[in-house]
Amino acid sequence: MTPETPITAAGPVMPAAEPPRTRLAATIDRIAPTRDERLFLVLSIFIGVISGLLVVAFRIAIEWIQILSLGSAPHAGQLRLLFVPAIAGLVVAPLVIWFFPAARGSGVNQTKAALYVYDGYISIRTVIGKFLTAALAIGGGHSLGPEDPSLQIGAGVASIIARNLHLSRRRLRMFAPIGAAAGLAAAFNAPISAILFVIEEVIGSWSAAVLGSLVLSAISSVVVMRWFMGTEPMFRIPSITLRDPREFMAYAVLGVIGGLLAPLFSLILGFLRPRLRAMPRWSQYLQPAVAGLMVGAIGYFGFPQVMGAGYDVIDQALHGQFVWQLLLALVFLKMLATTVSFSSGTPGGMFAPTLFIGAMLGGAVGAFEKHFFPHLTGTVGAYSLVGMGVLFAGFLRAPLTSVFMVLEVSGNYSIILPVILANTLAFLLSRSLQPVGIFETFTHQDGLDLPSMEEQREESVLHIEDACQPVSVPVMRGADMLQTVSEIVAEAHVTAFLVRLPDGSLYAMTAAELTSAAATLAPETPIQRALKPDRLPQLFPDMPLDSTLHYFPRWPLLPISNRASRGTLEGILTLDDVLARYRNAD
Amino acid sequence: MTTLHAGSVLTPEERVARRNLILRDALSLLTLFLFTVVIFALTLLLYRSFENHRVELGQRWKVRGEQALRAGRPKEAIDALRSALAYVPNTETEIELATALADAGRTTEATAYFNTLRESTPGDGMINLQLAQLAARQGNETQAVLDYQAALDGTWQGNGYDRRREIRLELANYLLSRHKDSDARLQLLIAAGNAPDDATIKIEIAGQMERANDQQNALGIYRSLAARRSAPLAAVEGAGRTAFALGEYRIAADYLAHTVANIAFATLPENEKGADREMLDTANHILQLFPSINERPALRAQRILSAKNTAHRRITTCTGSGHAMPPPLPALVARWEQLPSRLTVSQLEQDPDLEQTLLQLVYDTETATAQACGAPTADDASLLRIAHNPIAVEQP
Repeated sequence: MTPETPITAAGPVMPAAEPPRTRLAATIDRIAPTRDERLFLVLSIFIGVISGLLVVAFRIAIEWIQILSLGSAPHAGQLRLLFVPAIAGLVVAPLVIWFFPAARGSGVNQTKAALYVYDGYISIRTVIGKFLTAALAIGGGHSLGPEDPSLQIGAGVASIIARNLHLSRRRLRMFAPIGAAAGLAAAFNAPISAILFVIEEVIGSWSAAVLGSLVLSAISSVVVMRWFMGTEPMFRIPSITLRDPREFMAYAVLGVIGGLLAPLFSLILGFLRPRLRAMPRWSQYLQPAVAGLMVGAIGYFGFPQVMGAGYDVIDQALHGQFVWQLLLALVFLKMLATTVSFSSGTPGGMFAPTLFIGAMLGGAVGAFEKHFFPHLTGTVGAYSLVGMGVLFAGFLRAPLTSVFMVLEVSGNYSIILPVILANTLAFLLSRSLQPVGIFETFTHQDGLDLPSMEEQREESVLHIEDACQPVSVPVMRGADMLQTVSEIVAEAHVTAFLVRLPDGSLYAMTAAELTSAAATLAPETPIQRALKPDRLPQLFPDMPLDSTLHYFPRWPLLPISNRASRGTLEGILTLDDVLARYRNAD
Repeated sequence: MTTLHAGSVLTPEERVARRNLILRDALSLLTLFLFTVVIFALTLLLYRSFENHRVELGQRWKVRGEQALRAGRPKEAIDALRSALAYVPNTETEIELATALADAGRTTEATAYFNTLRESTPGDGMINLQLAQLAARQGNETQAVLDYQAALDGTWQGNGYDRRREIRLELANYLLSRHKDSDARLQLLIAAGNAPDDATIKIEIAGQMERANDQQNALGIYRSLAARRSAPLAAVEGAGRTAFALGEYRIAADYLAHTVANIAFATLPENEKGADREMLDTANHILQLFPSINERPALRAQRILSAKNTAHRRITTCTGSGHAMPPPLPALVARWEQLPSRLTVSQLEQDPDLEQTLLQLVYDTETATAQACGAPTADDASLLRIAHNPIAVEQP
């Protein structure tokens, strides 16, 4: 079984051990220990450029297929709208099942699995398969987006390059998110959002180790994308000004509605996807076609806007070109179309549909509010823009990304306050209604358990201050005589004590060490002459509690210093204190 | 790229391995670079080919949209122009799409679209004009005037001079429709001052001035045109009409007579011809009634006496209707009663003050009775017209 074996309900299978590679890595590590580090940055640029080029080609492929199959200006009533998505489904299904099983789905979870399960391994077959099948599906009218596949294509490129350079396993693993950031940045033409999304959703934690490379690759890919596609932001946004602070209420309403809709969308997807996957194998060949037929029917009978990624429709909504009734209809029809397209296993992403639904929802709420409260000054386009971020925050559970994404795709920073307000409300409400995010739901459905920011948010990290105790042991000076120290320690009945040296450093000495020193040295010898050469680490109350654990085999207790007042002790920490705190943590 | 570990102690085999590693890494990076170049070339080829195709499609839909727009099928134009924009986004097509939206009555969408466009090119005259028209359509007068002004100050492709004049006239027209006559007059005066020496344009401006109740400036323009060798009929007619409105009946009669005598007069609509003839008759009749100081003293005195008799009959009828008399009439009746019971032509000829007193009484009577007893007819109506501005009647 290859390492990129698709994620199955039975769980992933680890790749077979590769002793030759391990030996080679060990050799390289010995003869050129900083090689990986240097290559890491250079390769990040290459990865960015190549990912950017592939994403440009991917976007062109999608559009070309769309023009060839659906026509240059598809409109309701055209028979081809009914059949093309179904035919695309019929072609894509066997391709995915027979040749490119890892191309199934959006690509976000697959990339995350590559990072955490397969040591960053994504095969070239997966990259090719994702490119072909997603382009066919999206170009053929399936209600999916190109961003998540771009993310996986970028991650695949990174993985292939890193493997061929025989980088260490640790580095190899980190390349997948770097490529993912490059792919997503190019797809969105938004480097900051891509970096944040990869941190929030793919890596699942803030990691300074890869930040530099993430930035390099994302910027490189965006430069390439802009060289081809121009520097214009993704959407042309009408002028937006917030004249009256009371209007925040209107945006808050949008945030609340988005926060209610996002879990509903999650719920439908989470319900349908496993059921379709559990159906007999033969039906897997037909599911994308049936989904395509449903999407096509929606388009044929009056709503061709739901077909494909729908960027042009989002643009029209941003310009207030739809009435609220149509916008509302598009919200639910797009949800339906995306649910069936995605759940059927058709390769394609969730980003564009999320933005679409958000924009339509925002437009509908905005138009409705403006109809009944005409004094509101925000345009319908402004509400659409905020709506995009609202659903992104509520559905994809990437609140930081959602804010920056709205700003970057629109190039409009005047809307930031309403975006932050509405997104936060949507995120909090959605999270309270549906604690498990959509990507995590898919992960669990696939039998995996990958780390996520969502988990981190729930975790309460303990700090030193949580276990720190008052200084209850004697603190001696280095110049104090051995005899004096022995008397004080004996009187205090402690097993360890602290010695402050003239340079300000501290030493934790056990009673046993003191006894041993007293047996060999004269009573008037300064205690500092009895100390070993190493010194205690400098620890502060705000540091993570677990960071102290590895000091205890050496030291009986750890002094905690004050950051503001050098030399002042805040307290002390013993292994018993730490363990007791962890025992009581729950 | 491989970085050597400074001060490392390596065996000879390891040194060879390190050298090989450096070579291999360099080769790998070179290969990667070449691969990037190949991918770049392929993507560029694909992109150029696709872009050409897009441009073709965009052009095709743009032409269709423009045709539909010109043919007055804005809905069809919207679909076509939207498709064109999807392939080749550019400001010109966006303006056309927004125009189509406005033509289709989708004012809000069109306004949003034009606002977006204005944000990118705030000084574009066409965009500001379209926004002004949309604001006017939505009844937002303040915004409309601001946008019209921005359009006037904006940049224009082609002949900006003509476009600005047209917009100024459009603005004046809009102001007239909003009953802002004085603002409209200001715009028309600027337009007239900047207008080229083109009779059609000047006649249009003068026509608007008439609508703005600026008959004086309109007459000036008409007369300057009518003084030309091949004076346009509209100018001669306009001069007669505006002079008539100003009470300058000598001038009016002159121009209206020329109008009626013009060969092209027959081509005018019947109602217009009728109105011109009626004005000419009225003007001539007024001139026959008017006691001009240029006439012989006897004839002037006769006309004054005739006018006195007409006005006296009018006030007698008016006060004898049995209704309570409005405030000015009793005073007038008292003034009539103070007149000598019998007046002759020779009496008047010898007493210019009496002539003036009589004429003033006649004019005051016609004015007061018109207010108290309704619009006069026949000679009373003519005397009332004279009463409005007696000095103007024989203005040269």
